[in-house]
Amino acid sequence: MKYIKTLSILLLTYSVVAGFLFDVPRLPILNETIRVLYFHVPMWFTMIFLLLLSAVNAYKFISSKNLKFDQLSYIYAHVGVYFGILGILTGMIWANFTWGAFWTNDPKLNGSAIGLLIYFGYFILRSSVNEDSKKAKISSVYNVFSFAMLIPLIFILPRLTDSLHPGNGGNPGFNVYDLNSQLRIVFYPAVIGFICLGVWIADIKNKLITIKNGIN
Amino acid sequence: MLDKILAILYKDFKIEINQSHLFFSVGLYVISSTYIIYISHQPTGINNPEHWISIFWVIILFSSISSVSKSFFQESEKRNYYYYYILNSDELIFSKLIYNFIFILLVCLLTFIIFTFLIGNVINSLSFFLTLLFLGSLSISNCLTLISAVGHQIKNNSILISVLSFPVIIPILLLLIKLSKISTAEFSWIIIQDDIYLLILLNIILIALTKFLFNFLWRN
Repeated sequence: MKYIKTLSILLLTYSVVAGFLFDVPRLPILNETIRVLYFHVPMWFTMIFLLLLSAVNAYKFISSKNLKFDQLSYIYAHVGVYFGILGILTGMIWANFTWGAFWTNDPKLNGSAIGLLIYFGYFILRSSVNEDSKKAKISSVYNVFSFAMLIPLIFILPRLTDSLHPGNGGNPGFNVYDLNSQLRIVFYPAVIGFICLGVWIADIKNKLITIKNGIN
Repeated sequence: MLDKILAILYKDFKIEINQSHLFFSVGLYVISSTYIIYISHQPTGINNPEHWISIFWVIILFSSISSVSKSFFQESEKRNYYYYYILNSDELIFSKLIYNFIFILLVCLLTFIIFTFLIGNVINSLSFFLTLLFLGSLSISNCLTLISAVGHQIKNNSILISVLSFPVIIPILLLLIKLSKISTAEFSWIIIQDDIYLLILLNIILIALTKFLFNFLWRN
């Protein structure tokens, strides 16, 4: 955990400083907004990583019946949804500058919004059951099931249809723009940094909930 | 295993035929909502095939959610205890999957007939659309059966089923709407093959997950 915290602080400091100061490729329309790559895309990577951890922990609960895994699964889903909301907000700001509107009818955008709805449903499901073991059982089943439906929604469907979003439907992803690896040297550290931050937040939340349960 | 599945299916259909309020209530729901759409589009009718298709699938979505959610609720508590003794979870869930599939398929066909009768037919390649109805009801039943089993565990909470099933079913519904739009024009295998493969793949994943997760959900 110590290494994750140090890594997170170092990489995020580097990626924020370098993200705003380093040279970026000059492109029409995009201009300086290309820097959103360092903050918007890592949010989604972190969200997917945390939701994967959540589904893995739900599976672990199913196979072991240990309530500790259910608590972890809930916390990872919670933190993952925070990152998803941040990803939507950063994307909206970027879209306003490049596409001219905060929200467009785009498969990628709709997919991610519906994906967040799945997890809102998960939280409602959890809050509607009082009994702890039953809550854990039902919500972990729903978690694994809905994660399996999230993958086609975010990764497969947008690729099959036309989309404005970079990386989909014939539009180039960022790989085309960084032939001299200018973007890559900031982007990859930012991804690792944000993932470490997400795991760190989840760890603190886990400790907090464990202490609260201990007091009760 | 197969004879037990058939026995539960037989029992379910016998109850359904004797009481038959579920199918007729869903049928009435379909007819009345189609009629509202027919009246509201009165002077010209629906000219745009996209409207036709989206309304068609929305009606099927709502009617199938209300019918599938009943499939577990109609089992009484005592009968569930009886099932624990004579069945394992696979037999129960497969019989429910087949039952829901047949039920939703009937609802789909009924909706299609009423739509054709009242609003008109925009479908050009009929055989492809009927195959799509078959595949669609299969995927909807695979998707909703586990959700209704989850909802069954939470007593007196039927609204939760619709909240939980909407986001999960949307990928399948998007694929079905996209394929139906293609079926309004000339049929060609090259355009649809990616989507059909994806739909079949999703169905395999859904069946596998349902089998595995229901086994865990059912044991208390």
